[in-house]
Amino acid sequence: MPFCKECKKFFPIKGDPSNGDCVERVVDPRQAFYKAKPAVAEKDASSCSSFEKK
Amino acid sequence: MAKAAVDNNIKELEKKQQWWWAAEKKRSKRLDYLRKAMWKKGAIGGIYPAGLQVDLEQGILHTQAGRAMEMAPDPWVVKYAKIFAHYLDNKTIFITDNSQLVGYVGSLPHTINWNPTVATILNAEVITDTTALPEPLDESLKVINDVIAYWSQKADADKLIPVADISDVTKILSGTIGWGVPMPRGGYSGKDYEFIMTGKRGFADVIAELDEKIDKADAQAHEPIANLEQMPLYNKMLNWEGMKITLEACIRHGQRFARLARIIAENFETDNKRKEELLQIASCCERVPAQTPRTLQESLQYDLFIQLFSRAEAIEGAWPSRPDYYHGPYYDKDVNIDKRITKEEALDLVGEFLIRAAEVSQYKPKWLREGLQGIEGTWVWTIGGVNQHGDDACNDMTIALLQAARLVRVSNPTFGFRWHPRVKEEVLRECFECIRQGLGYPSMRNDPLLIANSLHWHKHPIEEARTWVHQACMSPCPTTKRGFQSMRMANATANCAKIIEYVFTSGFDPVVQMQIGAETPDCATFTSYDQVYDAWLLQMKTIFSTLVRIVNYSRFVAQIYTPRPFLSGISERSVESGQDVNDPSISQGNSWITAFTWVENIDSLAAIKKLVFDEKKYTMAQLKQAITDDWQGHEEMRLDFVRNAPKWGNDDDYVDSIMLKCLRDCAAFSHKLQDPMGNTWPILPENVSGNIHYANVVGALPSGRRRGDALYDGGISPGPGLDKKGPTAVLKSCSKIDHITDGRAFLLNQRLSPTQLAGEKGFPLWKAYMETWYNLGLDHIQFNCVSDETLRSAQREPEKYQEVIVRVAGYSAHFVDISRKTQDNIIQRTVQGLVA
Repeated sequence: MPFCKECKKFFPIKGDPSNGDCVERVVDPRQAFYKAKPAVAEKDASSCSSFEKK
Repeated sequence: MAKAAVDNNIKELEKKQQWWWAAEKKRSKRLDYLRKAMWKKGAIGGIYPAGLQVDLEQGILHTQAGRAMEMAPDPWVVKYAKIFAHYLDNKTIFITDNSQLVGYVGSLPHTINWNPTVATILNAEVITDTTALPEPLDESLKVINDVIAYWSQKADADKLIPVADISDVTKILSGTIGWGVPMPRGGYSGKDYEFIMTGKRGFADVIAELDEKIDKADAQAHEPIANLEQMPLYNKMLNWEGMKITLEACIRHGQRFARLARIIAENFETDNKRKEELLQIASCCERVPAQTPRTLQESLQYDLFIQLFSRAEAIEGAWPSRPDYYHGPYYDKDVNIDKRITKEEALDLVGEFLIRAAEVSQYKPKWLREGLQGIEGTWVWTIGGVNQHGDDACNDMTIALLQAARLVRVSNPTFGFRWHPRVKEEVLRECFECIRQGLGYPSMRNDPLLIANSLHWHKHPIEEARTWVHQACMSPCPTTKRGFQSMRMANATANCAKIIEYVFTSGFDPVVQMQIGAETPDCATFTSYDQVYDAWLLQMKTIFSTLVRIVNYSRFVAQIYTPRPFLSGISERSVESGQDVNDPSISQGNSWITAFTWVENIDSLAAIKKLVFDEKKYTMAQLKQAITDDWQGHEEMRLDFVRNAPKWGNDDDYVDSIMLKCLRDCAAFSHKLQDPMGNTWPILPENVSGNIHYANVVGALPSGRRRGDALYDGGISPGPGLDKKGPTAVLKSCSKIDHITDGRAFLLNQRLSPTQLAGEKGFPLWKAYMETWYNLGLDHIQFNCVSDETLRSAQREPEKYQEVIVRVAGYSAHFVDISRKTQDNIIQRTVQGLVA
């Protein structure tokens, strides 16, 4: 079972590696940007469509 | 293209008055990218533009947090603070390429934020208007249903409406006499900028103050001997706790941006210059909102955060602010003293600040979108004016804002400029350039007069009155501890054309088939003008009272039902007292009744007086019949009322005296109507695009208007095309009004010819006109300066004129984003020729 911490997009918080940010590059019809959502290192990522193994 | 060729090209475009194309070439690459990256959020004819999506994230996160605390013993203020914190801790954040300022009200750039805690009436519209819901629709509907079900009977309006006067609520929700749903957290919140924006404290400093307060109160509350002084402390401690929770969440939110900026810089970005910028963003968001800003970038970011946090807590229909006054010292330090950035770099930051504001969007029901065509809310930023000592407050930031506005050409925010006799010519020239280049702003406000007006109506001390900002489109409001108004519901907005309409229907509204106004006698029996006027007066008092009562009641109970822990946390009066910011006992009060569709009353009364009672050409029974028939079958009579009755705006004492009588009777009544702070309720004639929104709601009028015809464009502006005696006559009519004692402010739209303002002669011509305006004692004026030819071309080929901006009423909008009816209404306005 893959975990969020194994994903390329997971960036742990310094001093709190069990939590982090899921950071993705997005290009919409008008602009390009990076977005982030809080993520938990040990969270099951098997149903995540954007999971990319490190 | 070589620089010389580009410059020539710009000159050519400017000569042809194609300002929008010239701006595109003049602005930096960064600003060009960011301006084009912006998703326009204003609804077009009430419909959100293609590509936008209602953001479900706040609804999901709020519901999640609400459910998790269902059984928690916390009182609502603390629960709500935790719901707010959960949202800021978990919402999606993003950083746009090339940006230097961060933060958005929704989860993604193309989203419209939806806060489900405000009103189920609003939430219901989200689910019924599927035009902007994310795909797959079934999934969205499932989520929305769940969110709506959870917040039903918990949302503000749901809690308020059952305990308010149901008769008033029904009349307001009929959509005939007023605007808006009773939502205490849905309106226009001022800010205590003197507390939070003057560099004396950041959020961490406020938290330290709150900790001290809580510790002291806690010790008092636990004194072994019971005493009555302990009683209020429990509520105060809860309020302070709520404030602290929200402010801590805001600091964490800033740190999330800092972390994201570092992640991008260290893991993705390959361009060294951009890496540096990202690290600068990180440093900026580590600093603010926790601590006071040190630089212009930090100051702008701090301000932006405050606005976004406030919008996480409430639906904000306006953006009261004074960016030159509060950011000016940082501009001066960075550009002039320390020289850490150039003027051009500062202009990039200021331009981006305008763009960041322009993209903000919170979900609004369709009727509201129709009334605010083309824009998201009335972000009228205040610039210029005097400081608290009465000295000129204009600075380099004033100029930078005006220059940046011409480069990015957003239609929202706009500026209201506080004109006073000591404003330097170079600042006035910048204002003029914005007007000449067709932005429709700044609107010009008479600063000394409006300060006196604030003293008259709301008894603000003069030093506080001098801090004033536009609370929404027009109304001045201080930015001080007691003076700033934390809540202003849009409900106190009267569709005044109904006053004269109800004279003919004895208060019965034929559109919604309800008795809404006063049951005045059958007007067919009236034998004197005085009887007509007495009926008008009673209808006015009845409508105003209905609207004011619900707002007053909402303000009385807001602290219980709809506390605002974040807004309280950035307000000295709440931090000091432990009372919610909306508690009337700690506020001075700055209420006003917005008077939409006002001048219709004056032209109608003048027509009745002249044609029925002076000339006796018709009886009241005949007129009542014609009005009831919507003038159908009475065209000759209608034309008589249009052509042969005097019209406001022509320096004609016959009709102008009626205007004064109406305003002065309203003013006398305004002193009797009290708000919960014990202050007055003056009227403020202006319109946004309510003249179009209400066109089908208002029946035929004695002015000769038929149902469906656009109403006048508002304030004290003459009816379109009815001001036939030139610009000075308009000013003279308006100057008969006492702009201090007759009302809170008076909007005046004027159209000027772009040809006449072209070249070197333009500025002196405009300045002379403005001096006349000032000397005649008017409080407001705003200009459209786009030719009929351009506007007609834009109607024919909208794709070629996407960037043409016009002044609608209290705001500007892109011409292509407003309805055809509003477009026509603007074209019909008289183009005034100025005389040198």
